[in-house]
Amino acid sequence: MSVEETGGMLSCSECGAACRDRALPPRAELRCGRCGMRVKKARGLASLQHAWAFATAGLFFAVLANMSPILTFDVAGNTQSNLIVTGVIELFRQGYWPVAALVFFAGLAGPVLHLAAVWYVAAACCLSCRWPALRHVAKLAESLESWNLVPVYAVATVVAVVRLEMLGTVDWQHGAFWVLVLSVCSLFTVQFFDHGLVEQGLEELT
Amino acid sequence: MSMDVQLRLQTARALVITGLILYIPANILPVMTMTVVGDVEPLTVLGGVQELYDSGLGPIAGIVFLASIVVPFCKLAALSWLLLMHGSPLWQRQRGALRRIVHTVGSWSMVDIFLLSILAAVGQLGVLASVRAEPGALFFAAVLVSTLFASESYNSRMIWQTKEGLAP
Repeated sequence: MSVEETGGMLSCSECGAACRDRALPPRAELRCGRCGMRVKKARGLASLQHAWAFATAGLFFAVLANMSPILTFDVAGNTQSNLIVTGVIELFRQGYWPVAALVFFAGLAGPVLHLAAVWYVAAACCLSCRWPALRHVAKLAESLESWNLVPVYAVATVVAVVRLEMLGTVDWQHGAFWVLVLSVCSLFTVQFFDHGLVEQGLEELT
Repeated sequence: MSMDVQLRLQTARALVITGLILYIPANILPVMTMTVVGDVEPLTVLGGVQELYDSGLGPIAGIVFLASIVVPFCKLAALSWLLLMHGSPLWQRQRGALRRIVHTVGSWSMVDIFLLSILAAVGQLGVLASVRAEPGALFFAAVLVSTLFASESYNSRMIWQTKEGLAP
């Protein structure tokens, strides 16, 4: 959006204050005079390209992380391994379905949906495609951001290994590596998926 | 104040109070029972931390203590303070920053729930080792969910609304 189009004023997405708009040199940014958050950044969709790339990689690793076992636990020759979903099933089987649902959503469905939503919006912005329901999907991506808890899951895995080592033999499986890679991809996706830029990108499309 | 703001404020208040109440059973009741070679051991969240610390794993115990006890408590305290300060023109910048911190740090308390799900999945070796979830886990999960929705409900724009309406 150029200065003329917005009538010289922009609304801060953090606090809602009206900020005077001005043309920005490359890499410069406009900060809100009231709350200090960034209102506008010099245009450049490169950041969204990065988000797109990391979301693509993330989706790929999400498949691997969910298909391969993460740990094997061994006590006196009896072995048990787990996938992310086995924990959900086991909690469900023990009758704790709300906890199972929470793990399912935060550890499995949330991250995948979040990456998929980012992928869709970032791809549309980068390719200048007017795909349907872009605004809704962008909103979904924003609200799912706090539900992408794969990095937390990765830390929980480390704690679980420490815990289990007191009781028996624990071995890492390659699933643990995919979970780690997936969490790094998720972190970068969140970092590069700038809501202001998305807003600008969508504004240009529609 | 508009209806929407009023409703969001009330929702957030109700959820924070719910969270504060549920925080007590979440910490008193055992979260899981680990049975290892016939030795039954119910564990509360704090008990789990204690056990990690006793086995000489200070740093890991520290992480779990921070993530599952300090973070939920600080989140509830911070949200209560934000809600009490609603409409006041004081420290708005700091409140905005606090809300952002609460939002990003808050989800780390899921560590304990994920830990339980991993332990429950591998702890299915019959008499040798078994892990069962206990009611404490339900309360713990409920605290997490209610604080999550509370911080979603009280959004950053509402910090900047004073009693006279939206400040210029």
